[in-house]
Amino acid sequence: MTGAIVGIDTATRATAVAVLVPGGREVERRDDPAPHESPRHAQVLQPLLEQALEQAAVTWDDVATICVGVGPGGFTGLRLGISTARALAQGHDLPVVGVSTLEALGRGVELATPKELDLPGAPEIAGPVLAVLDARRGEVFAAIYRHHRVTMEPSVFTPADLAERVAARREWGRSPMLGVGDGAVRFRSELERSGVAVPSDSSRAHRVSALMVARLGRAREPVDRDALLPDYLREPDAVPPKP
Amino acid sequence: MILAIETSCDDTCAAVVTRTGEIRSNVVSSQGVHSRFGGVVPEWASRHHLELVNPVVDQAMEGVDWEEIELVAVTQGPGLVGALLVGVATAKGLAAARRLPLAAVNHLQGHVAANFLGGFEPPFVCLVASGGHTFLARVEDHVGYETLGQTLDDAAGEAFDKGARLLGLGYPGGPALSKLAASGDSTAFKFPIAAKVAGLDFSFAGLKTALLYKVRDLGEAETERLKADLAASYEHAIVEALMLRVERALEAEHEPRLAIGGGVAANRLLRERAQSLGVPVHVPPHALCTDNAAMIASAARHVEPTPYPHYLALDAYATKRAA
Ligand SMILES: [Zn+2]
Repeated sequence: MTGAIVGIDTATRATAVAVLVPGGREVERRDDPAPHESPRHAQVLQPLLEQALEQAAVTWDDVATICVGVGPGGFTGLRLGISTARALAQGHDLPVVGVSTLEALGRGVELATPKELDLPGAPEIAGPVLAVLDARRGEVFAAIYRHHRVTMEPSVFTPADLAERVAARREWGRSPMLGVGDGAVRFRSELERSGVAVPSDSSRAHRVSALMVARLGRAREPVDRDALLPDYLREPDAVPPKP
Repeated sequence: MILAIETSCDDTCAAVVTRTGEIRSNVVSSQGVHSRFGGVVPEWASRHHLELVNPVVDQAMEGVDWEEIELVAVTQGPGLVGALLVGVATAKGLAAARRLPLAAVNHLQGHVAANFLGGFEPPFVCLVASGGHTFLARVEDHVGYETLGQTLDDAAGEAFDKGARLLGLGYPGGPALSKLAASGDSTAFKFPIAAKVAGLDFSFAGLKTALLYKVRDLGEAETERLKADLAASYEHAIVEALMLRVERALEAEHEPRLAIGGGVAANRLLRERAQSLGVPVHVPPHALCTDNAAMIASAARHVEPTPYPHYLALDAYATKRAA
């Protein structure tokens, strides 16, 4: 058995890994810290990965590609996932593929059943999907996907700006825009005022799926290992130390 | 052979060292991006580590077969946690991929262990002074040390850099300050050496403030005219503050011997002052004094390695932990 795909995403507070065996199993293992808990990327990423491989009944010898979410998202988490992916690629001599975390989030609704989307009237998932990640400091990372294409490029917004942008796009279709991600949960009221349908807080649709990272990455060309870097989308605060 | 990775501050480092302490490679990639900020910006440091870490490992592994590597070592802390995490994740990934054991090393123990690479064996008193840390230790074996004293505020290297900045010498200005000091009179000004700090602890905050006030009192033109004297007097105070504690520590030793590490070990005045103590003094080559991965490998030779897969949950730590 060869050609298994490993998926990793650590752009959010969650740590998600997946193993996709062509024509076989699809395994996802994840750690979702409670709101009062700190992210545990460093402690859980590699153990989860080993567990997922075991559950999928494959070994590293069967793995063909490592796919990793490159954000945007939390800087430290992203680096943890990408440095792990790069080191595993270096150690196993495997190709690596970077996948947009927002895209994996937006496309992830395909994995959720209407019931899991948990929307009044269980609407069809045919309309545009607004993927929103909490960028902290009162901002979000967001993008819009429709029919497997990006129709609003990933960028940083204030929730008010995003709501305004989205409201201006309402004429786009009959079905409502679906808003997913921890940013959509956090700024639910702003988005709902703009006509975005946001599933209930506990819906699976709000979590970035590593399985979707693996599915998307599988169809893409590997990148040069050392060029695999986060899409930070934001400059760091470069505050000089005090004299 | 041991492959070691060190990313605790702003240098991305990897090294290959044999079990017997022979250095096969010692690669340091300095980021050089922090000067315009006047200090290390943690987020920039972490970003650069991620860009550099795998190529630096490749470079350290040049001419070495992966089959020859029997242990992966990594700095677990203390340091900038975001920077450390890049190294830890990389080391864990590489070790797991090769099914190798992993040794988690304390960065400060690494500075102490740099001396073992030159054959300088315990017991000795060790002064480590850099931009990130300043401490005095009693080293009796290869696995740890007893902290005799440490800085209560700034590190010695930080004091050099901050002094340099007050004298308009840029960042990092330590070496520039020392160069200027060579042509100045070290007795021209009397700067405090934290004589009142009890025991063997260090403090450089008062010194920095004293220079700040002196520069203000003198005014721009006078400061410029007396710059070399100010630099010489300031450097003299830092070196005296360090050596005062070193002398006290050595007095308590039965057979006093001294090792000096950290970037400040490159300081000429400090070296001269140490040589004049009349005890055996060991200063590793400069490349082993500043942050490097060979010293982490050296320390790892004496660490109980964690076999695969028991280290997969290993995390970095920012501040010093009780051993
Ligand atoms: Zn150091």
